[in-house]
Amino acid sequence: MKATVVDGVEIGINLPALTVRFTRERLVRYAGASTDFNPIHYSEHFARQVGLPGVIAHGMLSMGTALRVVTNWVGDPSRVISYAVRFTRPVVVPDDADGVEVEFGGSVSAIDGSLVTVSIEAISDGQKVLGAARAEVDLGVRVPHRDRET
Amino acid sequence: MAITEAHAGRRYPPCDPYEVSAAKIVEFATALGDDSPRYRGESPMAPPTFAAVISARAWDQLFSDPELGISLERVVHGDQRFTFMRPLHAGDVVIATIAIDKVRVRSGSELISTTVDIVSRDGEPICIAQATFAHARGAPA
Repeated sequence: MKATVVDGVEIGINLPALTVRFTRERLVRYAGASTDFNPIHYSEHFARQVGLPGVIAHGMLSMGTALRVVTNWVGDPSRVISYAVRFTRPVVVPDDADGVEVEFGGSVSAIDGSLVTVSIEAISDGQKVLGAARAEVDLGVRVPHRDRET
Repeated sequence: MAITEAHAGRRYPPCDPYEVSAAKIVEFATALGDDSPRYRGESPMAPPTFAAVISARAWDQLFSDPELGISLERVVHGDQRFTFMRPLHAGDVVIATIAIDKVRVRSGSELISTTVDIVSRDGEPICIAQATFAHARGAPA
């Protein structure tokens, strides 16, 4: 049996946070890896033409990176049974060496038997870039926890 | 042509079978900055959001449908939901099929809600990927 994180899982606990820099290099990599070649993710020309302040990160890059908070914590990515986000604000990635910093965090927001819901936050430049971001993981064994407040 | 509410319910033919490879998995994990050993080695699993790589083929069908008149650079992802029945592994051969669930026409843009069903070649359900895309209408040429 794989080790699980069941011990100490309680509503409200925070998962270890993750800070990542999105650079243009990262966007190029993600474009190639994902096959999302929308030019707003690499071309200032196209981004500005459609009214964006500049080249923006793929929403799916933010979504995929954010899930690392959960998979790092749970250890086994196959435990993830659902994952949903809203893309609330574009992450503008400047054309320089530093790019832009995005901070990802998560906390346990619900427990139901072996199912644990993690609410995820993604903050860039002081603003939330993902909304209603939740991943559901099945830890495989019932999670003992205190009764929720009624 | 332009997308309208009447396009809700449109279902596209299944995409060609896609074989998940160890090389593509490691490329994708690296793009996410994820060095987990689960995504490397001889028989890796794919990161959960690898389902977007497979969905992308189906999304492209939508974006390139001349009847809908969509310009890719005017598309932004509004929301995304994945329901995973089982993880993807190197060697899986999967088929994606997309349908338009709903179209909401607003002043200046359309919101297009879609579902991509990802199944094995034997029809085993693997993932449901639901997305809403916002398409900004450009000025008439």
